[in-house]
Amino acid sequence: MSHSLFSRRTVRCFVTLLLLAGGATHTFAANLKLEAKLIWGTNDDKSPNPEHKELDAATKEKLRKVFKWKNYYAVNHVVKPVPSRGSNKFELSKDCTIEIKELEGPKVEVKLIGEGKEVHKTTLTISQGQSVVYSGDDKNESAWFVMITELEEK
Amino acid sequence: MNLEQQLELQAWVDGELSSADATRVAQFVGANAEASALVAELRMTKSCLVGNEPEVKLPESGDFYWSKIRREIERTARAEPEAATLSWAFAWRRLIAPLAGVAALVFIAVVSINQFQQPLVDDSAKNLVEVENLSEDIGSISYKSQAENMFVVYVYKKDYESESNLKSEPIDDGFFQ
Repeated sequence: MSHSLFSRRTVRCFVTLLLLAGGATHTFAANLKLEAKLIWGTNDDKSPNPEHKELDAATKEKLRKVFKWKNYYAVNHVVKPVPSRGSNKFELSKDCTIEIKELEGPKVEVKLIGEGKEVHKTTLTISQGQSVVYSGDDKNESAWFVMITELEEK
Repeated sequence: MNLEQQLELQAWVDGELSSADATRVAQFVGANAEASALVAELRMTKSCLVGNEPEVKLPESGDFYWSKIRREIERTARAEPEAATLSWAFAWRRLIAPLAGVAALVFIAVVSINQFQQPLVDDSAKNLVEVENLSEDIGSISYKSQAENMFVVYVYKKDYESESNLKSEPIDDGFFQ
């Protein structure tokens, strides 16, 4: 007759503890998965840039409710994780980069970098469904937007 | 004939008596028929035992046989600490279940305290937004659209003080900086 050193009950206890420990880590330190979109807004019916893609309807509608432009096009988008108490850079174009740092709170520090220079910094609490949008004027009465959202999957 | 005399007769048959005692017992046996009969019976028993006692022979040499015994003793001695370790592990196993339960309760208590206290302490801080212009040439307007759950930072060059491109008046919907 062979005896295993640990019974099934003991193993179950260990597994429960591990799960609880994992939950604790998740509660106190958030690993974020964020999406940064570079968007171009215009009143023209078509984008002159063939590389611009149609923006999804929900985002377009959201922007229309806040900004004055009629049409919005997706220029680029980057999805990256931001580790707990760490940072990550989202390079959206040659001149536009966003650096996001996860801070205690939990909060995030969003830094707008234009042409290699730090331009603006915002520190706020980001939550599911909330967007942080940087915007600015562009040529011919158009505008650029950087939209940051937290994705559900962490 | 008493027991002492019977034992003395047995010792005489086995040749364990001194010569003086042996002479005395021999005279006694010669004169006593009962003693003579007992001696005859003892001699017959002795001859039966000598002829039929089983002799056990070792299947191997004596040295090898004893080395096997020594090895067995050493093996048993080694196995004992192992058994002690095993019993220690089993004793710990009994403690693990209650310890796990206590740890789980402590964890739940800590999380509950954290959950209930955090809103009281940090609720105002949670909604606080810090904005900072990092370039002297750049100005910014921050705006929170509650309806769209959107925090907007509109950046502009300071020499290009454009009118707001926001559709609604920021001050109505959120805070304005």
